[in-house]
Amino acid sequence: MTDFDVIVVGAGPAGAAAALEAARAGRSVCLLERGPYPGSKNMYGGVVYGRVLDSLIPNWWEEAPIQRWVTRRSTMLMTGDQAVTVDYRCSSWGEAPYNGATAFRPEFDAWLASKAEAAGAVLICSTTATGLLRDGTRVVGVRTDRPDGDLTAQVVICCDGVNSFLAKEAGLYPPSDPANYTLGVKETILLPREVIDERFAVRGDHGVDIEILGCTGEVPGGGFLYTNAESLAVGLVLSLPKLAACGRRPEEILAELKAHSAIAPLIEGGQVKEYSAHVIPEAGYKMMPELIGDGILVAGDAAAMCLAAGIWLEGVNFAIGSGAAAGQAAARAVQRRDTSSAGLQDYRRRLDSNFVMSDHRKLREAPHLVMSDLAQQQLPRIACGVMEQLFTVTNPDPKPGLRKIIRGQMKLNNLKLRDAISQGMKALRTFG
Amino acid sequence: MNSADLNPAGINLVACVKWAELRPEIDPLHGSVEASQRSSGFSSSDFAAVESALRLAQAWSDQGQVCVVTVLCAGPEDAEDSLRDFFAVGATRVVRVDLAEQRSSAQVAELLASALVPSQLNAQFVICGDVSSDRGSGSVPAYLAHHLGMQQALGLIGLESTDPGSLHATRRLDGGRRERLLLTAAAVISVEGSVATLRRSSLAATLAAKQKTVELRKQQIDWPTEVNRLRPWRPRARVLAPPAGDDALSRILELTGAQSGSTAARTLRLDPEQAAEAVLEQLAAWGYLDDSPPA
Ligand SMILES: Cc1cc2nc3c(=O)[nH]c(=O)nc-3n(C[C@H](O)[C@H](O)[C@H](O)COP(=O)(O)OP(=O)(O)OC[C@H]3O[C@@H](n4cnc5c(N)ncnc54)[C@H](O)[C@@H]3O)c2cc1C
Repeated sequence: MTDFDVIVVGAGPAGAAAALEAARAGRSVCLLERGPYPGSKNMYGGVVYGRVLDSLIPNWWEEAPIQRWVTRRSTMLMTGDQAVTVDYRCSSWGEAPYNGATAFRPEFDAWLASKAEAAGAVLICSTTATGLLRDGTRVVGVRTDRPDGDLTAQVVICCDGVNSFLAKEAGLYPPSDPANYTLGVKETILLPREVIDERFAVRGDHGVDIEILGCTGEVPGGGFLYTNAESLAVGLVLSLPKLAACGRRPEEILAELKAHSAIAPLIEGGQVKEYSAHVIPEAGYKMMPELIGDGILVAGDAAAMCLAAGIWLEGVNFAIGSGAAAGQAAARAVQRRDTSSAGLQDYRRRLDSNFVMSDHRKLREAPHLVMSDLAQQQLPRIACGVMEQLFTVTNPDPKPGLRKIIRGQMKLNNLKLRDAISQGMKALRTFG
Repeated sequence: MNSADLNPAGINLVACVKWAELRPEIDPLHGSVEASQRSSGFSSSDFAAVESALRLAQAWSDQGQVCVVTVLCAGPEDAEDSLRDFFAVGATRVVRVDLAEQRSSAQVAELLASALVPSQLNAQFVICGDVSSDRGSGSVPAYLAHHLGMQQALGLIGLESTDPGSLHATRRLDGGRRERLLLTAAAVISVEGSVATLRRSSLAATLAAKQKTVELRKQQIDWPTEVNRLRPWRPRARVLAPPAGDDALSRILELTGAQSGSTAARTLRLDPEQAAEAVLEQLAAWGYLDDSPPA
């Protein structure tokens, strides 16, 4: 007899969704969180894509703690003093059922975990799972940092986020490679609501999501700027080994982004309220561990199910999607009295048949492409150079043709046509 | 509550804790203070009070006494989840006196005292934190002692149990000195946070605590409408005759009394009543008591 049918470690979005689904299926569930409350330890850029919640919490948008609904999405390519922006606006994203929204994690995660509690899961905070309990190769529970802290269950779902010690202890990960990780850093900057509305040309509870390439100097990565109700989130994602090699501090690189002529006027006069940092499992599909073992499942960032590929920075939706699948599969396995690796295979089937695996599989080359020199250095410079030449009025000299400008910029930036075509084909195959 | 709850033959220890904003968010744009359930909690000295009560109870139980530790809080419903955690560390009972809004220390103490009286929790030792984390004055324990007619020992930096029902307390004095007190029931004491760190509850106890019920008391006290003073009381300016003197310097010297002899220090050996009388007389002689603070 175990203490619980299912133990979920980590009350982030993956853990809350797993606990919610397992509890709804009638299983006894314990949701362990090391922080004093769900979300207290968690940071991210700021945009949640809620479509995955439709089936979990119908009409979630009526109660979720949302800052602003994203109705404007921009992609910016920049060099030291130039920027080209592709700006998309969509007013229907500002109405139910919405698309993306900015939200604070301490509020969002606590809300989602409260749903799991309402479904019957027992949430225990300020408690860290320090290891796995095993019977032979089979995982039968977790050890926690509380006195007499062993807790047994038929299935343990690891939702303990990136760099999951539990999944590693279970032998589900190969030795880790720092090249698979990026470091995310973020400042939250306070500004009055009216100033944000004015500067970002939005009204009411509408907001903006700007993703930026070419803003991280010699360190491959990307930037972002999101609007909350009365604050902005501005941050960077930086290749971990390259950051270490260049010897610069991440906040230095962030200060450069904040000082850029395309960003400085947007954040001017704001007061920095918070600085935070977190590691991201950037390599996605290529670094995913074994997802299933005897008595154990891995979901969310713990399973590297984060999509950080240039114009996408999505992890919360994949965490919820994979967590929910893990909760359902665990409940089913408990009901069938087979929680061995074979009995838990339903998890894999569920992931394969939904967006979690198909998106990751399809976009598996995307992180590599986005971190390539072409995307990081040449593309922003060429795009900005082309724009500058195109719009610089050189009369009385005649205007140069676009083809000539592009060729000239490619030459200037050492990009051979053959390389451009081959990279373009790869990008098409990946994103197409 | 039945009479067994009052533990008439044993010792009832009550730890009083205050649910307070630990990290109030001050909106720099509006200056408004934003309270939230997540940033509220109990101060380290309140935790020390609970731990002290548990240790005393343990020590006296080992000597054959029946001890009951109750945690008492005058606070809002938001406090209940955190209050329930006190069951996990070993509190026998947890009682919340419903108090939704901020009240003065005197009023909070009145509310707590109404739950502590013999017919209710029947407390022999009331242990409080010395100050709450939201810039508390530390005066609630003193008010409590007054309401309950108990002796008081406040701001303690050490507690040791002796025989059941009595304990040694250490208090800080000026000049690095210490005062050792022997306390017997009934007493109100307050402890600094450094006195004890609240124990970490076991996992089983933490789980079991989730099922426990915090007892709710609704005490009806008709408090008079409070008129808040907006700034500290200052004595009214005194009208003085214009200083005499031919030049500005001599007038300033006359006005400030800079060169006139100051009152020589005197050491009086008097009993407390006479000493109080002498202090008042001297203050009146200096003109401080011409005006009294508004009631
Ligand atoms: C800078 C940055 C920007 C990002 N921007 C976005 C974005 O805009 N949109 C988006 O969708 N995603 C974004 N992401 C990714 C997103 O944050 C993650 O993919 C997502 O949080 C994963 O959720 P999770 O539940 O798997 O893990 P987490 O959110 O990391 O939650 C793990 C939980 O487990 C707890 N825990 C860990 N170890 C233990 C233990 N041993 N015992 C008990 N509890 C434990 C933690 O306290 C935490 O609550 C960003 C990430 C970063 C770093």
